[in-house]
Amino acid sequence: MILTILALSPIAVGALLLVLPQILPSHAGDQVRTFSRNMCMGVSLGLFAISTWAAAHSLSDLDWMAIGFGSYELENTPVDLIPYIGVSWHVGADALSLPMIWLTSLVVPISMLVEWDAKRGHLFHPLLLVMEGAMIGVFVSLDLFVFYVFWELTLIPMFFLILMWGGADRRYAAMKFFIYTFTASVIMLIGILVMYFNTGTSISDRSFDLEVILASGSTMSEGLRHIVWMLLLVGFATKMPSVPVHTWLPDAHVQAPTAGSMILAGVMLKMGAYGFLRVAVTAFPGSTVVFTPLLVALGMASLVYGAWVCMGQTNLKRMVAYSSVSHMGLIFLGIATMQPLGIAGALFMMFAHGIISPLLFAVAGAFKHHYHTLEIGSMRGIAHHSPWLSGHMMLGWMASLGLPMMAGFVAEVAVLIAFWMTFGWLVLLPALTLIITAVYYLTSMQRTIFESNDPHNGLLPETLHGEPRDITWHENAGMAILGGLTILFGILPFFFWDMMSYWSSELIDTVLVAAMESEGVKP
Amino acid sequence: MAKSGNEYRLLMPLIPALLVVPALAIAEFDSVDAAFLIVLAPLVAFPIILISGQLKNGEKAWKEGLKEGGTLALSALLVSLTTALWIIVDYLRGAREISEEVGERVATTWGDWISFDVLLSDYTMSSERVIGVGVWVDSVTLMLLFVATFLCFLICWFSLGYMNTDPINENRNHRFYAEFVLFAMGMFGMVLADNFLWLFIFWEIMGLCSYLLIGFYFWKESAAYAAKKAFLTTRVGDVFLMIGLLILYDIYGSLEFSVIFEDPSLNGSVDTDKLFWALLMLFVGAVGKSAQFPLHVWLPDAMEGPTPVSALIHAATMVNAGLYLVARMVPFVDVGHHGVAGLEDLGLIVAYIGGITAFMAASIAFVQNDIKKVLAYSTMSQLAYIFTGLGVSLWFYNHGNADAAALVFGGSMFHLFNHAMAKGMLFMASGSVIHEVHHAHDHLHHGSEHGHHDFDPQDMRNMGGLASKMPVTSAAMMIGSMSIIGIPLIGGFWSKEAIVAKTWKASLDYEPLMLGPAVLVLLTAGMTGFYMSRMWFMTFAGEPKSEVVDHVHEETPWIKEPLVILSVISALGGFGLSVLGVVKWLAKPYKDDIGIQKESVFDQVIYELEHAFLPEDPNLRIVGWTTIFLSLVVGPIIAARVHGGSLRAGQSSNPMVSWLVWISGRFGSQDMSEMADSSLSEALRHRLYFDHYYEKALGMTAIPLASFAAWFDRNVIDGIVKQVESSSVLGSVQIRRATTGRARDYIMMTAVGMISIFALAWGVSG
Repeated sequence: MILTILALSPIAVGALLLVLPQILPSHAGDQVRTFSRNMCMGVSLGLFAISTWAAAHSLSDLDWMAIGFGSYELENTPVDLIPYIGVSWHVGADALSLPMIWLTSLVVPISMLVEWDAKRGHLFHPLLLVMEGAMIGVFVSLDLFVFYVFWELTLIPMFFLILMWGGADRRYAAMKFFIYTFTASVIMLIGILVMYFNTGTSISDRSFDLEVILASGSTMSEGLRHIVWMLLLVGFATKMPSVPVHTWLPDAHVQAPTAGSMILAGVMLKMGAYGFLRVAVTAFPGSTVVFTPLLVALGMASLVYGAWVCMGQTNLKRMVAYSSVSHMGLIFLGIATMQPLGIAGALFMMFAHGIISPLLFAVAGAFKHHYHTLEIGSMRGIAHHSPWLSGHMMLGWMASLGLPMMAGFVAEVAVLIAFWMTFGWLVLLPALTLIITAVYYLTSMQRTIFESNDPHNGLLPETLHGEPRDITWHENAGMAILGGLTILFGILPFFFWDMMSYWSSELIDTVLVAAMESEGVKP
Repeated sequence: MAKSGNEYRLLMPLIPALLVVPALAIAEFDSVDAAFLIVLAPLVAFPIILISGQLKNGEKAWKEGLKEGGTLALSALLVSLTTALWIIVDYLRGAREISEEVGERVATTWGDWISFDVLLSDYTMSSERVIGVGVWVDSVTLMLLFVATFLCFLICWFSLGYMNTDPINENRNHRFYAEFVLFAMGMFGMVLADNFLWLFIFWEIMGLCSYLLIGFYFWKESAAYAAKKAFLTTRVGDVFLMIGLLILYDIYGSLEFSVIFEDPSLNGSVDTDKLFWALLMLFVGAVGKSAQFPLHVWLPDAMEGPTPVSALIHAATMVNAGLYLVARMVPFVDVGHHGVAGLEDLGLIVAYIGGITAFMAASIAFVQNDIKKVLAYSTMSQLAYIFTGLGVSLWFYNHGNADAAALVFGGSMFHLFNHAMAKGMLFMASGSVIHEVHHAHDHLHHGSEHGHHDFDPQDMRNMGGLASKMPVTSAAMMIGSMSIIGIPLIGGFWSKEAIVAKTWKASLDYEPLMLGPAVLVLLTAGMTGFYMSRMWFMTFAGEPKSEVVDHVHEETPWIKEPLVILSVISALGGFGLSVLGVVKWLAKPYKDDIGIQKESVFDQVIYELEHAFLPEDPNLRIVGWTTIFLSLVVGPIIAARVHGGSLRAGQSSNPMVSWLVWISGRFGSQDMSEMADSSLSEALRHRLYFDHYYEKALGMTAIPLASFAAWFDRNVIDGIVKQVESSSVLGSVQIRRATTGRARDYIMMTAVGMISIFALAWGVSG
């Protein structure tokens, strides 16, 4: 019940707030409009409270580390939606999805806060709310049909966010974002359908229910399993995104409004890794083990190549977007280690990146907002005008380059330790990439926060008409919360680490070990 | 400017800080359990200072009452200092139980940090592995803890005068103090950490703080560049250090000292090559942090930060971190106690890097005219001494000669102590000089912009004759320089002697390859004598070289106290602690039998003197006296000959330094411009072109590669996507014929599409 509320209430409230002003008489419609922003914030804070309650053992008495692999907490009794083809409303959460749910319910209100005075807020904030519901829906649904519906539903609000509040080139970016990811998810859908058709011999036997559909692999031939795994991989890797199917991301990010970027990077990208672990790895452990070299290659390409591309960027937001590509590479590397530590590191990377990247995009957005430019080097010495913004930038950049005592470091070091255990000296590549990461982040800081002696460099553009002020209170508050959480989870990672570690061990123990043994892969 | 006497009332916030330790002691807290306070106090002070500074900036109470956060920082550091002293006293009294087989060390684990399982090669899960948080205390920890807490406190005190009286820092000092305490926290935490992962975490925090503090003057492009350079260069080392940790974890399944040091050889089953690589990687990290060849390029540039930051980096924190890490490698190689045999090469590598850096840095210091840069290269060179000593010690431990190893290990650690005390003071003294010269210059050119920008208050060519103006500073600088040079009986002499002698012993009696470092450190001893004396003579002796000097007064508050305290320690600490047997005490964790302590203090004094000046081994006697001759006679005399000179007639100096001014007048001054124009000195001025070639190499590789990657991504990978897109647009033109505009047809097409997907999927699933 709780998860149903989490997933559906924001969609319902958001849709209502979008629609009501249109159908009510204009006077009443205006009243709803003025009210809508607060309403959205209220609902999303309520959801945050619920998910925090669920995550805290001391409050809810839910023990996420005792339920075992394949069982769920807060599970409902499935309600048939389309009984003819075996679709039902079945939701539940476990140690894999809970951190993601919590993250979603955190990032959305903060992105609302950061863009508190967005233009056409009566549309903007409800769209974010719909987005939240759709994303939580992806994480909680235990029925792959519903999962897919939510998966595609997330595209719609994001499409409109980019299209209506985006930058100059928003039309192209919105279309590219939509078509690219939609195409990929249709490929994924084919994979899901193949699994569906293998759940039974007649239509009455078949079901989209997660438990049933994950077991479908056992009836397939090995070749078919590999094919389906590949189809799923295409869908999930595009979402994540992994090189070479990542090019929708920079365009979408650069054009998207700040809140859109924050949600896109913070939560939407994690849907790819979540789906990969939930469906592809769990259903086809054999293929996962066989294709480990492919995962390493993809992860390594994203990480290393992504970092180099980052270094070549001149646009601040593009650079941050590519850094997401680079960091997401660590997730594949972590999974490929086939070690509980590596997978837990990948999970923690999802979580940490989910806190850090919204901070990065909030900073980039505020930079654009106050200095009307995103070109690195066109505006230097912002420490003068915007000390708070520079402070947040410093913190976010440092967190993203993997500085200890911040959340990203925990993930990085865990993945790297596991990576060494499995692949030995190959670890040099990801480790040395940490230097590249530091180079592009530090260079971009040198050219924004610090000043230049060259008088032609770093002057305030004339379009600014005088000194820009520091960021607004709501931008500041949003960034401060994200920054604080980054440090909190860097110093005390165990709040979510323990359950992630538990889930990873369970995954290995119940699913992957058997596959590794039969494939003859040594840990 | 307020006189110092009126300002001590600002120290009121220190009183509660002083009461913390007595309160805990009365509450029967265990001193080691209170160690978390050492880290916690600055960690808590950091956000408080930063945020209240940001909010209260410009308010009178904040600015004058709290010195823009300065006194808050000072109280936090006082809590750390008193707690550290409490632990040290407790330890020395023997109140702690001896908990390990070798030496006395205390380990406490406070809790788990992250826990996880490992899949073993027989497909079973290991029992839960934990990376915890805790403290590890032995004599090396205590010495470094004392150095760090004590110097941080004094440097913070000094900053109250140095930073807050400079108008350029106005309303920015809260940033300085906040970053200062965070830096201090990094060092305290690193020294106390009981496992390699937390060591690394604090290690990186220091990297961050050095970046922030070197870039403190963010409006100076050179500062921004230097900050970036420091962070990136040390980051290169850090990444290798991290790789070392990964390997260590793989070998031992843990990163805790208490687990690893229990039996580093794993009952003889350890893979020696793997361990060698792990330790080598750790050493690369240390090389980066301690600015050794070839990762030394960041240290001189780091002088862009405010002078207290230089003192902090060079004496109290950062650069000692690398030495500490190498000191922690001893158990791995100590074959007497479960160490792994066959790692002698590691000791050789460490010693060679040390020897090369010592010589190189000293030679570059010959031609520097910036007073802080001379000190920076001197730091590099002295740290290299310690590395050489540690390398020799590692070699001896691995070779099985634990007695010699322990002595040179203790000597190296003791040199760290002496160097830190002297160098911290030297930097503060140079800060005092710079501050007063700068102040005098501002005073002289008050109101006129002319000549303001081309005057460098750090350039020694603008100084000279300051001995008559700055009695305290000149004396402090003299004592510090003497300690660094190793003038007999003073400070660094006692430890440097041990390093040089043991390096020669290793090369003459055991390993001919050690001759390289041995010769280099011996030569460097004389070179140290030259460049340190040169610095003193150029600054304090001779005629004033610019009119500014006449207007210099030593009047800034808060500056003198640390100088005096550290002068006393630098002058007498070396001898005093030697007599108390500090060298053996420092080697205690790695050697159970720490040798004979003489019955009476007098006997001990005689023993130490005999040991230093008349060692039994005739070879070492020659080496010892050569060192003394080079550093005491050759170096300083040449320096006096080139750069010396008497004060202007009628001016007098502090009696403590007047004899030195007299010597300088006797020998000076010879024209050396011919030599200064030689290509060698040109190369030295350009720091032997290291920076140049590094930059060139990066410019030729990394930058084009990055641009290419960006181009490739935009035009090739995304280009393919766009190609697909445009061809599908072409296709859709054909399809458009099918678009009839009627809803029924669209629904039909959607249905057909969906059905074909289903059919496809069904067909594939067969």
